[in-house]
Amino acid sequence: MRQFWGTQPVPQLGEESPTADGYIEPSKPSEEVRQEPYPLPKDFGWTTVDVNDPVQLREVYELLSGHYVEDDVASFRFQYSAHFLHWALQPPGYHKEWHIGVRVASNNKLVAFISGVPMTVRVRDNTFKASEVNFLCVHKKLRSKRLAPVLIKEITRQCHLKGIFQALYTAGLLLPTPISTCRYYHRMINVKKLVEVNFTSVPSSMTLARLIRLNKLPDTPKLLAHGLREMEDRDVPQVTALYNRYMDRFGTAHIMDEEEIRHSLLSGRGEGPSTPDSWKIPREKQVVWTYVVENPETHRITDYFSFFSLPSTVMTTDKHNLLNAAYVFYYATDVALLDGAEEDGRLKKRLEEVLGDCLIIANCCQFDVVNALTLMDNVQFLSELRFHTGDGMLNYYLYNWRTAPLAGVNPVGGVPAGKGVGVVML
Amino acid sequence: MSTHTPSPTFESAAAYLSNASSLSAVSNTIKLELYGLYKYLTVSHTPNTSRPSIFDMTGRAKWDAWNTAGKTYGGKAGEAEARYIAIARDLGWSEDKAPAPQGHLDLDSDDGEGGESSRGGGGFGFGTSVSTMSTSEEKSGSALSDLAIAGNAHELQLFLDANPNVDVNTRDENGYTALHLACDRGHIDVVRLLLGRGADPSIKVTSDPITYHTDPDTLQG
Repeated sequence: MRQFWGTQPVPQLGEESPTADGYIEPSKPSEEVRQEPYPLPKDFGWTTVDVNDPVQLREVYELLSGHYVEDDVASFRFQYSAHFLHWALQPPGYHKEWHIGVRVASNNKLVAFISGVPMTVRVRDNTFKASEVNFLCVHKKLRSKRLAPVLIKEITRQCHLKGIFQALYTAGLLLPTPISTCRYYHRMINVKKLVEVNFTSVPSSMTLARLIRLNKLPDTPKLLAHGLREMEDRDVPQVTALYNRYMDRFGTAHIMDEEEIRHSLLSGRGEGPSTPDSWKIPREKQVVWTYVVENPETHRITDYFSFFSLPSTVMTTDKHNLLNAAYVFYYATDVALLDGAEEDGRLKKRLEEVLGDCLIIANCCQFDVVNALTLMDNVQFLSELRFHTGDGMLNYYLYNWRTAPLAGVNPVGGVPAGKGVGVVML
Repeated sequence: MSTHTPSPTFESAAAYLSNASSLSAVSNTIKLELYGLYKYLTVSHTPNTSRPSIFDMTGRAKWDAWNTAGKTYGGKAGEAEARYIAIARDLGWSEDKAPAPQGHLDLDSDDGEGGESSRGGGGFGFGTSVSTMSTSEEKSGSALSDLAIAGNAHELQLFLDANPNVDVNTRDENGYTALHLACDRGHIDVVRLLLGRGADPSIKVTSDPITYHTDPDTLQG
């Protein structure tokens, strides 16, 4: 595989860190972009997957559920829901040509997939259009066919055809060469189930009963009496403004306009009305949960937070089928924008309140665990809110762009841990 | 993070082994050595997680193998690679040999055979990664407690038979008796065995004054 990456415009492992940021190879004029798809091994053919067709969406869902990412000892495998994929693959401006599949010619079975979605990314001082590449999956029985490099070359070609020459992607594996590496942290909610599925174990210095009690959460969010509610469409302008100001504080960020914020934070909220109790009751087809804090007097949105649902199939016990994990998504508080709030601890305190409520709501919504990475400001609240170290790492990569390492699990230069990374991958 | 870039020769050997039928006949010792070398060469010199508990035997053996590779080869990645390749040769790999034809080895099987990890969409790449909680290597400091936690009544019985002087009512350094721990973990056979061997159900937990019972519904919450 390293032979493949040696041919790609990515910094090679062991290269010295660059002194200036920039592309590795220049963008090509459209007439120089290869027009024909890359050849596949015989018996296979390319397909553009239409995720608005329920049959094809189901095929992608089934491929990923059976063959996508597992943990190191094959106890859990991601099970992205069909609603989630439908949402994640179609942000504003998406290209259906970037939803690429491979089928077996003889029986038309979908056996491999890769996708890209358009994004505007800022890396340090440079802002550019890129493709966020995700969901690369090859059927387990075909892992020796070397399909993955062809899929990567084909998604690259399709991006080039749209005039996009940079990409952002993540992987648990070490490839050439990460711009940052983050570690997963886990906040136990349903402790008993997490023990039963071997997600965690009770330390011998403790009893299960005590572990459960230590992780018990209040029934009601603390900010509910101070303006906490579900985000509504009317909040989009204020949330977008707060989002972009807040994210400006990190080394990298996904720049979003109002339409993109509406998509990312609202369009996955499922079907059903907003009622006084709906903050704690998951809706049909809901994949993302977003809450705002509205100042009752000024009606300004002072904070928001969101999380998304990404269950995993439990493979090593019959007691449970699914581990329901919530992943901390984007959040912000205007406290971060006050002078000195970071240094004197006001930001840390506010984040603990806001993300503490995130845990309480995830508990009400029947999640088993809340996961977060060492990115953005997460490191400031992880330990206070009882997140514990995970064994998984996530590497961040840029295709055809050089930049020096960014602070993730470790601080880099004078930048504290986490603050180099402001992009949360789905 | 490993700064060593494995050679194409290593890649070829790893690709061969990821799919070689000869592996099924190889001892676990060799498989573990291959696993340790592979992780050392492709991920990092030593494991980046804490050592799994003794009850996760597979995970612990793998961790140990990886750690051993790190300790053995230190900064000498070239030697580790040479060792990996030598084993691969013994198992039928040669420079000019393409990856073994698929189908000999069940591709759904465990990833620890020196091949690519299944993490990351085809052992390759993109996507987020699945993580579980790192297990700390805390010890109870007591074989009796460890056995009560593990919940294997047969092994506990063997232990008690072999050590007739062990007092089943001893508290471990965390203040728990074997009966406390077996009740908490819901191991009914172990509870029964301990009671039969004179365990005293009236002993209270000093640091943790709660009632012990094995009803899952009341344990919850």
